[in-house]
Amino acid sequence: MSTHAATVPAALPTAASTAATAGKALTVGLIGLAATLLAALFAPEKHGVALSYLVGVSYWTAIAIGMLLMILIHHITDASWSVVIRRQWEHGLAAFKWLFVLFLPLLILAWAVPGFVWPWMDKTHVLHGHGTVGTDILYLKKEGFLNIYTFTIMTLVFFGSWVWLSARLRRASFTQDTDGNAAWTFKNRVTSAMGLPIAALTLTFAAIYWIKSLEYHWFSTMYGVWFFANCARGALCCGVLIMVWLLHRGDYKGILNTNHFHSIGMLMLAFTVFWAYVTFSQYFLIWNANVPEETFWYNLRELNHDGTTNQWWYVGLVILFGHFVIPFCALLSYRFKVTPHIIRRIAYWVLTIILIDICYNVLPALKDEHGDSLPFLSINLLWVLTSVIGVGGICIWAYLRSFPTTKLIPIRDPRIGECLTHHE
Amino acid sequence: MAAHADTAGHPAILDEVKPAVLPRAILVANNRSFSWITEKICGIIEGKTPVWWWWCFAVACFVASFTVAGLTYLVATGVGVWGHANPVNWAWDIVNFVFWIGIGHAGTLISAILCLLRQKWRTSINRAAEAMTIFAVVCAAIFPVFHVGRIWYAWFLFPIPNSNYIWQNFRSPLEWDVFAVSTYGTVSVLFWYIGLIPDLAVLRDRFEAAGNKLRSFLYGLFAMGWRGSNRHWSNYEMAYLILAGISTPLVLSVHTIVSFDFAVSLLPGWHTTIFPPYFVAGAIFSGFGMVLTLMLPLRAVYHLEDLITQYHIDCMCKITLATGTIVGYAYAMEFFIAWYSANPYEGFTFINRAFGPYAWAYWIMISCNVITPQFFWFKKVRNCTWFVWVLSIFVNVGMWFERFVIIVTSLARDFLPSSWGYYSPSIVEIFTFFGTFGVFSVLFLLFIRFLPIMPMAELKAVTPQADVHGGHGDPASGQETH
Repeated sequence: MSTHAATVPAALPTAASTAATAGKALTVGLIGLAATLLAALFAPEKHGVALSYLVGVSYWTAIAIGMLLMILIHHITDASWSVVIRRQWEHGLAAFKWLFVLFLPLLILAWAVPGFVWPWMDKTHVLHGHGTVGTDILYLKKEGFLNIYTFTIMTLVFFGSWVWLSARLRRASFTQDTDGNAAWTFKNRVTSAMGLPIAALTLTFAAIYWIKSLEYHWFSTMYGVWFFANCARGALCCGVLIMVWLLHRGDYKGILNTNHFHSIGMLMLAFTVFWAYVTFSQYFLIWNANVPEETFWYNLRELNHDGTTNQWWYVGLVILFGHFVIPFCALLSYRFKVTPHIIRRIAYWVLTIILIDICYNVLPALKDEHGDSLPFLSINLLWVLTSVIGVGGICIWAYLRSFPTTKLIPIRDPRIGECLTHHE
Repeated sequence: MAAHADTAGHPAILDEVKPAVLPRAILVANNRSFSWITEKICGIIEGKTPVWWWWCFAVACFVASFTVAGLTYLVATGVGVWGHANPVNWAWDIVNFVFWIGIGHAGTLISAILCLLRQKWRTSINRAAEAMTIFAVVCAAIFPVFHVGRIWYAWFLFPIPNSNYIWQNFRSPLEWDVFAVSTYGTVSVLFWYIGLIPDLAVLRDRFEAAGNKLRSFLYGLFAMGWRGSNRHWSNYEMAYLILAGISTPLVLSVHTIVSFDFAVSLLPGWHTTIFPPYFVAGAIFSGFGMVLTLMLPLRAVYHLEDLITQYHIDCMCKITLATGTIVGYAYAMEFFIAWYSANPYEGFTFINRAFGPYAWAYWIMISCNVITPQFFWFKKVRNCTWFVWVLSIFVNVGMWFERFVIIVTSLARDFLPSSWGYYSPSIVEIFTFFGTFGVFSVLFLLFIRFLPIMPMAELKAVTPQADVHGGHGDPASGQETH
């Protein structure tokens, strides 16, 4: 890897074929989905499979939303260093329509068996010691928001917005490769200006509907910000993985320099701190106030009904150290940030912990007869893995399918020169 | 240098593909020379004191006297001269404290965070913004210090063992405020001062050449022997970067702790988890509002259009728009979750804010903080300097009302309807707050009269002629890059 100036390949290649890799990704994805489907059909605890699948879809959707956000922020700030990485995020947006398809089973399940995933959809659902959902005053107060009709419409709106924004961004960027017209850059700025508030609202309400409402008694104004932080971190980590992959393949040789890795590493560090700030603030304010209607959510993730510590308490510690302390310390190092194989490991690590963080938010909604959360280390973890692999395989396939359809980098972007000579 | 790059570091291949052309904004207009920048900035200090300055100074002193009179009366009479009464025992003092602290944030934000983000446009406004930080912190500190009543016991705020063996409540965010704000004030002064050193040395040398020994001595004293050697610059850059690194978490932590003053309580409307980032966004919003309020008149009076260009105004407007919209998101989320929580007290609080006895304050807040910045979507508005200035005033007003709405509405109607009340400030409170604008103005006027309002060396570094490639072939020469 060069350290400063670019040595752009003279041939300006359309990205090399990735058909074989795409085929492998599709195969792996289908195997993962098939395994999840088999589990859904034959596993004794089907709720666990459904929520594990929700984890898988939410995880990859979060990453795709993060990529969308990164592109929007790139355009709105007229950034230059991230031009070549932006192209890969644009390919990543191809996953949205498939994520919608992959979300459909959950939507169909919601209509076919109300309350199976989101308990509030079934008014006869029996709460632990509180009667049924239909007689629960806390549900009745918010029934106008939490009902299957608005849930369905809003989910369609979420995916519709993301697919629409993605299509606009991709079309303008890809077309600019051919005609070199600066008007596409302005068009993408306009898309970004309106896209950022849309993305902020849709990701917030997606997090509320899909994840937070699993425990519909609980509330936190910070929740959308927490989800945003994970989205951004996921996209940055995927960006790093793609950068290193393309560098090792030779595609990005002469295109990337150490400063690109340094810059994306600094953003990873900044979002690590931001995630910690947001997560700590939420935890601290709830812990300090010690109001039962808020603390129960954390108590479920710490204690059993008999006062013993459950597994989620340890998962919380893993998140504390794994999602903040370890990546924070690692990303402080300049060397770690600019050494491809090291920053790649950090990216893998953070992506793993994001998954655990989403598990921490989703899976404790599965409870036993005492109302205690089912343990983290259970068969459900296997379904989480099959779901993540399944959905991930399809997302990676979608990315790889899009990859060879355009130039490797936005070669006619007005900031491409600055990007290729990016320096501190 | 790589094989496919030309002599200016510009990849040769780009000449073949012809990327879209979209020049970067020039940060110093009209290709001004280094000496022009020095003369322009130093000329403000070296020239004869303008008449307008004396008039402004006199008015500012007069206004400041309201604070002095208000505080003197308070100390002589007791804290009861403020309008606090059950159930609102905490109102204008904390409203004004948070208002001024919020304004103080933008200075450090512009300097530190924009420095770390490599936003070169900060150079035209960072010095004045840092000064604004310090003066705003001074104004902010007045309120909690005098609210203790017996001002001579204010030192009890610090954990110094005293004869009564009374220790502070370390679990109270008010005590954390003491540490946060004092640390913030100290670091802000250091950050500001470090940045001033090279410019103070310039003034020292110029006054020496002009034969003004006293001023040369004074500027020389604070320039601490700066000679502009490589070693000095190297140490300076490192110190500046370290302070930027320290200031960034500090600026966030201070307003987070300020938000904890409210959020750790159980009071409806205060106890909400989004408060920390929401307060930080609000502080940035109000700070940029104040920077626009201060810098636009300075730009006009001193003809600084080549240094504070339309691009700078655009950037500030856009940040104001972004942070105002984030604040709007927080308002909406608070309102929504108050309903979603199904907590009747939370729900009532927000309905009461919007439609209760303080609805007028709530809608002023919404109008100024959410609607006003939306004007900045339009280029025509951003290009109209006087209108931008007017909008910046609205931002300042709106952010004061935000704190008023949060604090007073939640206290005036709490859990127990029999104790509800309606808070109105006393004339002493109004005078004391009004006077702080005078205090702030006096300090700011002194600043523009005696210290360089822009960092000359940093400005020179972003001119086209400072570019190492000589402006040949490098699209980034002398222009903003990101």
